[in-house]
Amino acid sequence: MLSKILEVYARPDFPEKLREHVVLSLVALLVAVAIAMPVALTIRNTRLGAAIAINIGNVGRAVPSLAILALALPLLGIGFASALVALTALAIPPILINASTGLREVNKDIIDAARGMGLSGGQILTRIQLPIAAPVIFAGIRTSAVQTVASATLATFIGGGGLGDLIVEGYSRRGPEILLAGAIAVAILAIITEVGFGALERAFTPKGLKIAQKRGR
Amino acid sequence: MIEFRQVSKTYPGSEKPVVNDLSFEVLEGEICVLVGPSGCGKTTTMRMVNRLIEITEGEILIDGEPNTAMSGTQLRRKIGYAIQQIGLFPHRTIADNIGTVPHLLGWDKGRIRDRVNELLELVGLDADEYRDRYPAELSGGQQQRVGVARALAADPPLMLMDEPFGAVDPITRERLQDEFLHIQENIKKTIVFVTHDIDEAIKIGDKIAILKQGGVLAQFDTPENILSRPASEFVSSFVGADRVLKRLSLTRVSEMDLERANGGTDELPRISERITARDALSELMGSGQTKAVVEKEGENRLLTFEAIEALTSGTSNGEEHSA
Amino acid sequence: MSNPGLLLLQDVLEEPELIDWEWLRENFWEDIVPAFQGHIFLSFMSVAIALVIALPVGVISARYRKVYPPVTFVTGILYSIPSLALFAILISIPGVAIGPAPVIIALVAYSLLILIRNTVAGIDSVPPETIDAARGMGLTNRQILFRVELPLALPIIVAGIRIATVTIIGIATIGAYINGGGLGALIFDGINRQFPTMIIAGAVLATGLAIVADVLLLGLERYLRPWARARRT
Repeated sequence: MLSKILEVYARPDFPEKLREHVVLSLVALLVAVAIAMPVALTIRNTRLGAAIAINIGNVGRAVPSLAILALALPLLGIGFASALVALTALAIPPILINASTGLREVNKDIIDAARGMGLSGGQILTRIQLPIAAPVIFAGIRTSAVQTVASATLATFIGGGGLGDLIVEGYSRRGPEILLAGAIAVAILAIITEVGFGALERAFTPKGLKIAQKRGR
Repeated sequence: MIEFRQVSKTYPGSEKPVVNDLSFEVLEGEICVLVGPSGCGKTTTMRMVNRLIEITEGEILIDGEPNTAMSGTQLRRKIGYAIQQIGLFPHRTIADNIGTVPHLLGWDKGRIRDRVNELLELVGLDADEYRDRYPAELSGGQQQRVGVARALAADPPLMLMDEPFGAVDPITRERLQDEFLHIQENIKKTIVFVTHDIDEAIKIGDKIAILKQGGVLAQFDTPENILSRPASEFVSSFVGADRVLKRLSLTRVSEMDLERANGGTDELPRISERITARDALSELMGSGQTKAVVEKEGENRLLTFEAIEALTSGTSNGEEHSA
Repeated sequence: MSNPGLLLLQDVLEEPELIDWEWLRENFWEDIVPAFQGHIFLSFMSVAIALVIALPVGVISARYRKVYPPVTFVTGILYSIPSLALFAILISIPGVAIGPAPVIIALVAYSLLILIRNTVAGIDSVPPETIDAARGMGLTNRQILFRVELPLALPIIVAGIRIATVTIIGIATIGAYINGGGLGALIFDGINRQFPTMIIAGAVLATGLAIVADVLLLGLERYLRPWARARRT
């Protein structure tokens, strides 16, 4: 069985499916960040704005991935682009929620001290709020990334390509090695994403905060 | 140097002002303590000086100019700011924290580094050891010292301090107060200091502004006058029933006018001239004697109950005593 | 099915009405309601079974910490297997592929991680002083568990149930691919028949069900946590 699975990876169309899957996930994630972050930044100081953003985020997180992908079909048609739009929409909620709460939960005393010392609003955002909220924001991006890689598997149903194609092919043609090859590939991709973004999260956590976390402060 | 002219603050939607028609003046080089019960508006008043809160009526003048003459951000870079919760930036080193305002003002790196070292030593922390540490590695007392250093960094002539020693235990707090007073002797900043603790106000303040609920000024005077001539029932009860004793803590034995001892001092207890009259009273009472010996300028002098009582003459409800 | 073709938006707009209300009215009781009922059955059955497993495992993991890492590892691996793949694998195993079993097994497997993790977190959140006081008052370990720890851990456990339920409602839609029924059947049928009305009906209902479940359970969570209710953000 193992050798048969490896044969699947050697197929000429495998790299393309892998590439499709990665591109779908990555582009959806980047666009989601490009949309969610400015929104989170804009509403960071208003209570109403934050409440709205978080509620939208929570609702968005509850929505079944297949439903959104399926809805893209009659509205946007078959193919890569439709899947991309659907995946982008799905990727926004975790980032929006984490960015909003992360920015708002920066200790008010720290912001008061910063303001009292004469930092302008913009300086407070870039030098204080963003660095301190960075770990939470990156955790949100990480969650979204892993979720997007998993959801991208379903893009196959609307002609979006990706590793889901292998799973569907293996299922309908009774080729368990094809199915398993696809499944294992996605799982490995998901784990790499989790570990990779975890490292990114740690890289962007300021040293002073890591020390504070260790000391439980 | 700071003048409050009929300053009031009322929040929109609220009927009652939180600060009501305050007028007083803080002279250069003085520490003015704003003290009062919760809800008296003392912190709000302080925060109106650097416009973290905007005035509704009246004006605040700094060196003769209204504090609205420049933008809030620019104003604040000229005023030192230290709060109870300190608010150190956890993601920056101690050196970066202290250097925040100098950096904003465009000082060059060398000058900032020297200033950071100077300030750390000033607040009693070893510069080499603490410069590159992070706030989470410091104890509460150490963080509070860094907070003060940070407020002093750009050498502002004026400082605002809101219970800066509040977040530590009483022993550390007393030490911080003493060191702070010692520093102030040398640097002579103009300071607006907020506290809820009347004892701290008396200890630290050159002038005290006692505020009542609703931001009304109950009395603005030196600690001595507030203790000996409280302006109202409120002030009298706020300073406490032991205000006569509190007055005694304003004077050190070394400042007292004592008669010379003429022999016969071997059996008498000895008292240091460095302690306050209040502590001296306590020691004298504990000794079971009516006199004690104080060595002053090489001579022995007598400390008596009468001498201590003489300090309290002029109290509103006391009789005149002669030494 | 892997053509990266782009469909022009014009074509979509020229399409006859996306939603065929006639069809909806005619087939409401035959297709839509059974799908809806089937979906609810699948989801809640799976959550219930998962809870029965997760609660004891969670309690044991909270007590005997050494057990926790391997448990997290196994459930974590299960969670990272793409649902489509897990369904397809399970249905290939003879004996397992009876009725809704493969779907339910997969759904249970997916929710174990979050339920166990939240059970442990919930029990961890009980202050040690409280347990100490309870023991000092003479409660047995069993009584402490049922009268002190679990009630105090409840808000966090319910949060886990909420996330698990919503996730499962979503994944259950995929279960239709292996004939598991539910609202996903409407979606897949719609795709196969190129009949947008079915797709939209299935997708909208599945989304609605997930959101309603989320809101209701969030309400329950807030209700159980009166101190969080009082707090203003």
